[in-house]
Amino acid sequence: MEVTVLVQTTDKAFEILEKARNEARELLYSSAKLTSETKSLEERREARAFLSGAQQSRLALRNFTITSILLFAFWILLSGRFDYFHLVLGIICSLLVAYLSHDLLFANIRLGDVRIRARRFFAAAPWFLGQIFSANLHVAYLALSPKMPVDPEIIRFKTKLESDISYVALANSITLTPGTITVDIREGEFFVHALDKKVAYDLNTGEMEDKIAHIFMEADHVYIQDVLDVSRIFGALK
Amino acid sequence: MTRVTDDIIIRAVARVLIPFIQLYGLYVIMHGHHSPGGGFQGGCILGASFILYLLTHGLEEARTRMSEIKAGLFSSFGLLIYSGIGLLCLILGSNYLDYGKLSTILKVMPAQARSLGILGVETGVGIAVMAVMFSVFFDISTGGTIPESEEDLRGKDE
Repeated sequence: MEVTVLVQTTDKAFEILEKARNEARELLYSSAKLTSETKSLEERREARAFLSGAQQSRLALRNFTITSILLFAFWILLSGRFDYFHLVLGIICSLLVAYLSHDLLFANIRLGDVRIRARRFFAAAPWFLGQIFSANLHVAYLALSPKMPVDPEIIRFKTKLESDISYVALANSITLTPGTITVDIREGEFFVHALDKKVAYDLNTGEMEDKIAHIFMEADHVYIQDVLDVSRIFGALK
Repeated sequence: MTRVTDDIIIRAVARVLIPFIQLYGLYVIMHGHHSPGGGFQGGCILGASFILYLLTHGLEEARTRMSEIKAGLFSSFGLLIYSGIGLLCLILGSNYLDYGKLSTILKVMPAQARSLGILGVETGVGIAVMAVMFSVFFDISTGGTIPESEEDLRGKDE
C-alpha cells in the first residue's frame, strides 16, 4: 500500500518535473530567438557605450588621421605633380574624403591594432608568395601532363575567423592561389572549388586560415595587446 | 535592389574601396585642366562611389551618409558655384565665364586667373553632377517617393 503510494507520488513528481523542463526549454528557445534578433542592435549599442566619450573620439581621430595619410599617398601616386598648388589641393581633398568616410576604411579595428597587423602582414607575405609559386607549378604540371589528372570537387569548411575583412582576405588568398577558387561564403562556411585532390588536401590542412587568423589577431589567440585594451577601457569606465 | 547585400566579400571590399574611389573622383576633377577628365567625369565617379555604398549597404544606411535632401542641396550648391563664377565675370565687365577678368580680384596674372577660374567651375560642375547622379539613383530605388523634410526621413527609419 505504502509502496504504491510512494511510486505514484514519485511518478507525479517526475511528470511535474518533465512539464517544468519543457516549459523552461520553450522559454529558453523563445528568449534565444529574441536575443539573436536583437543581437546586432545590442552589440552596436554596447560598443557605443563601451567606447564612450574620450575613447570614441580618440578612435575616430586615429581613423581620420590614418585614412587621410593613406589617401594623400594615393593622391601623390596619381597626381605626379609636386608643385605647391597641387600638393595643397591634395591635402584638402584627402582631408575632405577622410571626413566623409573615415569610418569605412577601418570599421572593425580596435585601438593599437594597425601597426601589429601591418607588421604581421609583411612577415607572412613571403609564405603566401611561396604558396602561390608552388601552386602555379602544380597547376602547370596538371595542364601539361598528357593524362591531365584533374579531379575537380567543391569542398566546404567552417571557418573560425570572425570579422568581415579577414573573411575577404582568406577568400581572396584562396582565389589567388592557382587551382582553388572561392565560390561563396555563407554564414561562416566557405565553398571552394578545388582542381584536384592534392590542392584540396593542402587547403584542408587549414594552414592558410591559421596565417590569416594570426595576421588579423583572431580565434584562439589571446594577445598582450588585448589585455592592454581591456585595461584601458576599464580605466575609462572608472 | 535597396536591401543589404548578403555577400560579405562585396560588402567588405566596397567598404575599403569607397574612400579611394572618392579620392580618384576628386583627382579627376582637380586635374581637369591638365589631363583628360574634368567636372562631369569626376562627378560621375564621386556619384558612383555613393551608389556603390547604397547598393552594398542598403537604403537606410546610405541615407545616414547622403540623404535626398542633402543631394538636392548639393546639386543647387554646385550650380550656384558655376553660375556665381560666371556672373562674377559678367559683373567685372567682360563676357559670362570669361575668367581673364578675375585677375583683378585674385591679384594674379590673367593666364593664372583663367586656370583658377576653370578649376572653380569644374568643382561646381563636379558637385552638381555627383548630387544629381545620386538623387537619380535614389529616385529609382525608392520608386519616386520623395520625403518633404529631414524629420520625414527619420520617421521612416524608425
